[in-house]
Amino acid sequence: MDNRITSYCRITNDAVVVNGEKHTIPRTDSPWLSDIYHAENLSYPKFFKMDNLAKAGFLGAELTLKDLNIDKTEPKQNIAVICCNRSSSLDDDTAYQHTIQSADNYFPSPAVFVYTLANIVTGEISIRNKIMGESAFYVLEHFNPQKFCSFVRGAFSDKTIDACLCGWVEYFNGNCDVLFAYVTRNELKNLDLHIENLYK
Amino acid sequence: MEELILELKKEIIEVLNLEGMTPDDIDNDAPMFGDEGLALDSIDALELIVLLEKNYGIKLANAAAGKEVFKSVRTMAEYVSKNRTK
Repeated sequence: MDNRITSYCRITNDAVVVNGEKHTIPRTDSPWLSDIYHAENLSYPKFFKMDNLAKAGFLGAELTLKDLNIDKTEPKQNIAVICCNRSSSLDDDTAYQHTIQSADNYFPSPAVFVYTLANIVTGEISIRNKIMGESAFYVLEHFNPQKFCSFVRGAFSDKTIDACLCGWVEYFNGNCDVLFAYVTRNELKNLDLHIENLYK
Repeated sequence: MEELILELKKEIIEVLNLEGMTPDDIDNDAPMFGDEGLALDSIDALELIVLLEKNYGIKLANAAAGKEVFKSVRTMAEYVSKNRTK
């Protein structure tokens, strides 16, 4: 089976793997996603304002793109960002609900509210990398490589798109399940199998 | 006033998730918005309005007043000191 994927990243509750290499993440008292951010020497203060889903997507995208020679300061029309997950923004929706739960302590948090949409993840990634191509976020019942890849192929139906930064970005109740990949037009053959294997 | 300024700095760091920042890193008179100082954004401004209401019982309904109140931590402390209900 040929046509490997240019770059990918897998993040679960206890491991970070980038292009087949397991990264060492020293654990601290901070949350897991913050430990990854620090261990990978990332520098983007807005990260700490994001909800967990956006943090997970941001990290997946950052680590996938890290070794690719992609200029984050140059606007790019030829890259699409496509994400999917199961729980949508339910993790943040729940956090927001807590800020409005009690009539006696009713203080809706604007900073929490802005993340109560899953597609904010694709927006954060696009802003960070100045990606101006198509972006979409789909919610599926479960991880489904065939559907996932059909969305990616759909992005390439636009002839101006040369690459797709695509990810399964699931975060709910402390459970993190992320697979990100950078796929070029030449890598669409066998994409379903590659994605399925990388997710295992 | 200095005590209130310190209290506000701690609250700002917490509610705005200013990771790695301590009260000493925030200049009392530095601009809170714009490219200098804390470089906060519009969502941060809304969060500060919630902070005033939640912690000090101040309802800031006038957006123009907010511009003056949130000029710096010192102006914010002065406003809180004069208008707090709790």
